[in-house]
Amino acid sequence: MSNEGQTPDLTGDRGFRTVRESTYRYALAGCAVLSVLTTVSIIAVLVLDAADFFSVVPIAEFLGGTRFSPNLQPRSFGVLPLILGTLLITIGAAVIALPVGLLTAIYLSEYATQRTRSILKPMLEVLAGVPTVVYGYFAIVYITPALNVALDWLNSTLGLGLPNLGLFNGLSASIVVGIMIIPMVSSISEDAMSSVPDSLRQAGYGLGATKFNVSLRIVVPAAVSGIASSFILAISRAIGETMAVVLAAGSQPPDIPTVQSAFGIPYVAPGDLLGLYTESSATMTVAMIDIASGDISGGSTAYKSLFAIGLTLFVITLAMNVVSDVVASRYREEYE
Amino acid sequence: MATQTPTQETTEFGEVSRLKGIAFKYTSFAASIVGILALGVLLAYVFWDAFGLESAGTTWYLSYTVTLLVPLLAFFAYARTRPDVVAGAFELFSLTLGGVMLTVATVIVLSVIASPPVWFAYFLTVVGPAIGMYVYGQYNREATWVGLGILAAVVVGPVVGTLGLGTFSSLGAMLGAPGIYFLSLVLPGAGMAAFLAHDRLELSKRQSIGIGVGLPVLAIVGVPVVDMVPQIARSVWLIGLVMFGLPVGFTVVNTAQRRERWAAFAFPAIAILGFLLGEFVVGVVGATEPSPWLDWQYVTSGPSISNAAEAGLYPAIIGSVFLIVLVSVFTFVFGVGTAIYLEEYAPATGPLGTITRLVNVNISNLAGVPSVVYGLLGLGIFVNINAQLGPITYAGFGVGTVFTASLTLSLLILPIVVISAQEAIRSVPDSLRQASYGMGATRWQTIRNVVLPRSLPGILTGTILALGRAIGETAPLIMIGAATTKFSPPSGLFSKLTAMPMQIYAWAFQPSPDFRYGVVAAGVVTLLIVLLTMNSVAILVRNKYQQEAH
Repeated sequence: MSNEGQTPDLTGDRGFRTVRESTYRYALAGCAVLSVLTTVSIIAVLVLDAADFFSVVPIAEFLGGTRFSPNLQPRSFGVLPLILGTLLITIGAAVIALPVGLLTAIYLSEYATQRTRSILKPMLEVLAGVPTVVYGYFAIVYITPALNVALDWLNSTLGLGLPNLGLFNGLSASIVVGIMIIPMVSSISEDAMSSVPDSLRQAGYGLGATKFNVSLRIVVPAAVSGIASSFILAISRAIGETMAVVLAAGSQPPDIPTVQSAFGIPYVAPGDLLGLYTESSATMTVAMIDIASGDISGGSTAYKSLFAIGLTLFVITLAMNVVSDVVASRYREEYE
Repeated sequence: MATQTPTQETTEFGEVSRLKGIAFKYTSFAASIVGILALGVLLAYVFWDAFGLESAGTTWYLSYTVTLLVPLLAFFAYARTRPDVVAGAFELFSLTLGGVMLTVATVIVLSVIASPPVWFAYFLTVVGPAIGMYVYGQYNREATWVGLGILAAVVVGPVVGTLGLGTFSSLGAMLGAPGIYFLSLVLPGAGMAAFLAHDRLELSKRQSIGIGVGLPVLAIVGVPVVDMVPQIARSVWLIGLVMFGLPVGFTVVNTAQRRERWAAFAFPAIAILGFLLGEFVVGVVGATEPSPWLDWQYVTSGPSISNAAEAGLYPAIIGSVFLIVLVSVFTFVFGVGTAIYLEEYAPATGPLGTITRLVNVNISNLAGVPSVVYGLLGLGIFVNINAQLGPITYAGFGVGTVFTASLTLSLLILPIVVISAQEAIRSVPDSLRQASYGMGATRWQTIRNVVLPRSLPGILTGTILALGRAIGETAPLIMIGAATTKFSPPSGLFSKLTAMPMQIYAWAFQPSPDFRYGVVAAGVVTLLIVLLTMNSVAILVRNKYQQEAH
């Protein structure tokens, strides 16, 4: 830079320059390889150890078994109760987060002023930024007692016979997991709604539609693939959620409710299903933490079951992420 | 609709639609704040418990409301319509908090984790040469070897340092801890301060040199003053001067330079004066003070599982700091490296482009893998492994050690860092790159001088946010066998550790109310304060970046 007056040296020090350029190139490529290596080793670790496990416990017994007790004799490794626990928490969280998140996204994208949006959006991100162990603590220490007070009040004023919640229960876990995935739904859905072209809205107003109609009948359907993708991602996050559930939902898997039958159609009484929320409801992630923090020796079948559950969890969440990607890429094609 | 002529039918139609619309508008607004409100209430409860506010008397509340709360609210009301004042106050707030945290982290890293002589050895072999070469590179732009030289210092330096540890550290021991910190922190800090003053704050050359000389002089002059205060060691004074003094000094001068921001100084003034005045009034009136769980004893003593009054978070705090330092080094180097490669080098078209695209998809999917699965990964490849490769045996890095934990957490947040760094790099306009190539720059020169400086704030923001995620993670630590309760801080890379979230997890099952509503609440608040600091610094960096970009 300081030798502007001199003749520029166009040949330069090519040898050194080439060495430098390729050193950086390969060093950086090495970094990028790391991500591929991570994926490969996740799959390798999970598959290898899970294969060990499945050589002892048949896959059918693992996937179809209705009792999970890796520590107590007689041991049994049926994953169904854990999947039921995961489903309970996930459905409970989804019931809270999906409508709230969607309404939030509509409000932020269609109704909020620039100023309101600039305040609300970072505050919503905070919901996802609080460590999950803190959410778990909130659930057992503040939310469960508060819910019990509310239930007592309902029972005494309305004369209902609602059961009280246990120390560990699925309901409080669902509530905190629901709160923490709201921003996931709202931010991705809002992105989708904001990328709906304004011409569609103008056309709606031109036909005399109200803002309400434009939001619900034009913007939401136009952004539906983005919304769907956000729902799937949020549910996948809820399935993989660990610490909040470990603290709030306890380590006992839910009992699989008895299947009744009417006119030959099997069904489960809704009361039974709702009743499950009042009791401990361990998920797949909880079982993993439980096994890892217990004193089970490495190499035992109980220990290997860790990897089988991990593999199941990994496959489910990966599949949901891929589906969400596919769904989301559809809408990008439509409007760009 | 309001402009239409109100005929009988349209009014009725309009009324109905408007009601539905208004109801929907307020429902959706309620939905957007319900989560925030719920979290707000929970946070209020946990702060209430952690600071033992229940036991405070009414006069205590009254005095602080008058001296602190009302003035602060008045300030907020004043600042509401003045974005410059808000920006200034936020900068003062986040850099002060950030400076405190940086000081605490540096004190922990340099005097608890590494002893001063050991730090001196690595300063001589790694940090010193790297800083020296960087400064020389800034001074002499034609020295193209500087980048490679720094790379070599970072790679070779640790080896030399480890081999010559005995010699270098005995040299350090002769200097003593304060001498080491003076040489290795205050002098480079003085250079940094002079540079910032001249380059960023645009002070005159004479003023900048004055600042550069003034800092070491202040460090020495301050020593006798500090010696009179028994709580502050000389080392802490020197570290604090650099790590707290530099950012806070920067923001104070930066705020003072802009007239429209002067009112922002009212914020720290009101906070400090209000607090002191409150203390004075409470002392005079004799009000019952709260009995906080989160106090000096709490952050300096070990955990207890039986006695709530003696329980503390010290080993967990040290463990978390140790973790976050290692994780930030790993993820910054590898995350930014990956992002640069994928955005600047990797082919975007052709058969190789497909591979690039697959790697990108792979990274975004890795970001969605549950953290507990990363724990299994860490367990599989860093703990339970026994691989024989020729003469080299690799048996992992031990159950629940600092090294294992930091590698596992690094893998966990690496995808997040890569994705945010990619976004930052992508946002650099292509015209800048073309201009650089047009002037004959090579690809690396373009990255080094054009792309990285422009995208660095975005990269930093993403990295700090991801580190915030790492500091709160518990599940992977449990999976790799980190201790839930540990009574002494980790002493080295391969000793077992516990971290703040682990300790919270361990305590949360204690049935006694003193633990449930006191000790754990204090731990939660400590963790949240650390996160709040990191996030507000990240937001500050992002805001600055957005201002410069527009």
